[in-house]
Amino acid sequence: MTGVPDTTPEGAPEDTVRSTAADTAESTDGSATAGVARAAAPNEATGETANEAPGPARKTAEVRRRGAGRPPTRASRLLQNRWAGLAGLLLALLAPFVDATPYALSVMTSAAIFVMLAAGLNIVVGYCGLLDLGYVAFFAVGAYTSGVLATRLDLPLVATVPVVIVVTVVAGVVIGAPTLRLRSDYLAIVTLGFGEIIRITANNLDVTGGPSGIYGIPGLAGSPVAFYYLTVVVVALAVLGAARLGRSRIGRAWRFVREDEDAAEAMGVHTYRVKLAAYIAGAVWGGLAGVLFAAHLSAISPGSFTFLQSALVLMAVVLGGMGSVPGVVIGAIVISILPEILRDLADYRFFLFGVLLIAVMLLRPQGLWPARSKEVP
Amino acid sequence: MRATPLTSIASLAAVALLATGCGQGLLGGGDGGDTAKTNEPIVLGMLIPQSGSEAAIGPYMSNAAQLAVDEINAKGGVLGRKLELKTADDACDAQSAAAGANKLVTEGVDVSVGGYCSGATLPTLPIFGKANIPMIIPAANSQELVDQKLKHVFLINGTGTQQAAAAEKWMTKQGAKSVALMHDNTSYSKDIALRTQALLDAPGGADTALIEAVTPKESDYSANITNVLAKKPDFVYWTGYFQEGGLIARQLRQAGYKGSIMVGDGSVSPKLVEIAGPEAAEGVYATMTQTPDTLEGAEGWIEAYKKKFGTEPGPYSNQAYDAVRLAAEAVGKAGGTDGAKVIAALEAIDGFQMFSGPLKFTPEHTLSNGGFQILVVKDGKITLQDSLK
Repeated sequence: MTGVPDTTPEGAPEDTVRSTAADTAESTDGSATAGVARAAAPNEATGETANEAPGPARKTAEVRRRGAGRPPTRASRLLQNRWAGLAGLLLALLAPFVDATPYALSVMTSAAIFVMLAAGLNIVVGYCGLLDLGYVAFFAVGAYTSGVLATRLDLPLVATVPVVIVVTVVAGVVIGAPTLRLRSDYLAIVTLGFGEIIRITANNLDVTGGPSGIYGIPGLAGSPVAFYYLTVVVVALAVLGAARLGRSRIGRAWRFVREDEDAAEAMGVHTYRVKLAAYIAGAVWGGLAGVLFAAHLSAISPGSFTFLQSALVLMAVVLGGMGSVPGVVIGAIVISILPEILRDLADYRFFLFGVLLIAVMLLRPQGLWPARSKEVP
Repeated sequence: MRATPLTSIASLAAVALLATGCGQGLLGGGDGGDTAKTNEPIVLGMLIPQSGSEAAIGPYMSNAAQLAVDEINAKGGVLGRKLELKTADDACDAQSAAAGANKLVTEGVDVSVGGYCSGATLPTLPIFGKANIPMIIPAANSQELVDQKLKHVFLINGTGTQQAAAAEKWMTKQGAKSVALMHDNTSYSKDIALRTQALLDAPGGADTALIEAVTPKESDYSANITNVLAKKPDFVYWTGYFQEGGLIARQLRQAGYKGSIMVGDGSVSPKLVEIAGPEAAEGVYATMTQTPDTLEGAEGWIEAYKKKFGTEPGPYSNQAYDAVRLAAEAVGKAGGTDGAKVIAALEAIDGFQMFSGPLKFTPEHTLSNGGFQILVVKDGKITLQDSLK
């Protein structure tokens, strides 16, 4: 595989990858390298402005990928601006100067926690293409681990973080190791099952407080404003971390697995190990979000970790644009803030919420801010 | 022109800073405390489920609360100030409830008179506590709400302990020998079952044959019922909700069970009779706090409610109504809306007339008399059997 540049796997158009997989073991090396190099060359030359690259072959590949052959509009150029993340962070930091009422802070803190959850699920679903319908299980494991330790052993919540990381990694391995041998639909069903198992276990154990859960969990910061800033900083680091992971060597491997697992395997990616890594990373993100959640609400109960919650996080990822970090952040903010904006409608609240989500999916099926990898033509 | 990144960030920051002029931001001034509020209405906040699985309960409570507010305002209000009711949706979910409670705090409520789902009410306790707002909780009655011994939390619904006591009293009165307890593994239902078991464990009277946990929302409970009947109980007590309660009553009778059946307050609904069928439901007992139907002298109140809202009052209508009246009474006694004074006034209340009888709070801020009574299904209608007085 020496001839394959680091950036190539996902740079290859799908047909190239397919032919690679179809080839015999002897010829794999040569043809893959050739095909990949062909696809990668113009891409590297044009860098960020790859969209404007000429050539009919490029055009068809682009159309097939994105369903749109138009040149980038002003808006989409703005979307690719790498300063967008910084602007978003600045906006989050300045928001309390506009409205620092307890209500606004509570909603914004919840939204930030939800962003972290979505960023974590994005690693699993967006990068690696593993459909996880029970993601909230890790959220629950994190929240319960910190909650139980903090209330039973009188530990400060910060001290529980290392334990939470260890426990979520173990949970990720325990759940991931058997399930990640499965594919697509089967994986979805098994993760759905594990999500329910964790919730029902929490509902029946004494140490988790049974159905009424745990209350009186200490906070992480004195005032709601301080906690909001703490949450924003933690979540910003988590989002940045997820984004950097996505661009790393393993991030490229994840996307290769997503595009074509057989081809990835043939190219020497240890797909099982790579998938497990994505799953564990997602678990840790979810667990840490759970710690913030426990600190924010001060009381947790199994009712907060239902399948609907998993579905909403998945919705945030899909709505924003799978695999796109800014998209997922926007999607999570929309999903968590929209029901609050619609609060005054009382009975019609979730009805309208559903209608709006359907409208978005019909009008922008690719997501609010779809992924445009620089390495993809 | 293509905006450079720095100019776009700078303009964003400028917009944000301009908006801080609106006054609610960190740099905005506070609202100056209570001094200027003498002519403003006294705001009561009510957190109830308006969406989600328990949404049906919301209007029963908010309508009754509004009725009380209107009645008090018609008489001139409290301390010359009008009452105003603000509701927020808790969706019976912890996160929604926390947001809703913060919303009410932001809107400047003086007393909270809401709280239906215990799990959703728990996270709101510290939120109202920090804002120094007394809470009169009309419906939620899990023991955990008072176990924290928070000064600002008052329950005016009977607790699980009191319901268990009423159940045990009736079982003994009926001469039950062997009791099977069935619950649905939710916080409230399990709590009543375990507390009843603790009471039954005392020497003398009936014994607990078994405790059976069922999975809610199923349609066939024959496996659970086989377990129960294997122990040959002569009294079955279901502490969950009416959906399962109706099915269990029906399937118990179908399996040939001849003993008594009793259900908890979550199962008291005309739907129970509908689901069980009139034959299986006949003679089913229930432990329940007072409802408008079983109350002597409440006809006028029911009429007033019907006239105003065009529907019958439902579960917890009377508690919500009483919560508002109690809040008004306490604010009147305290001479203002200062949280500490209102709490002191609530603690001092003795003999205030409510649907559940004269009110006096125990040291842990629950009713000294839970007001539980025994109802029975007679000719397809739920009627009073024994007021256990």
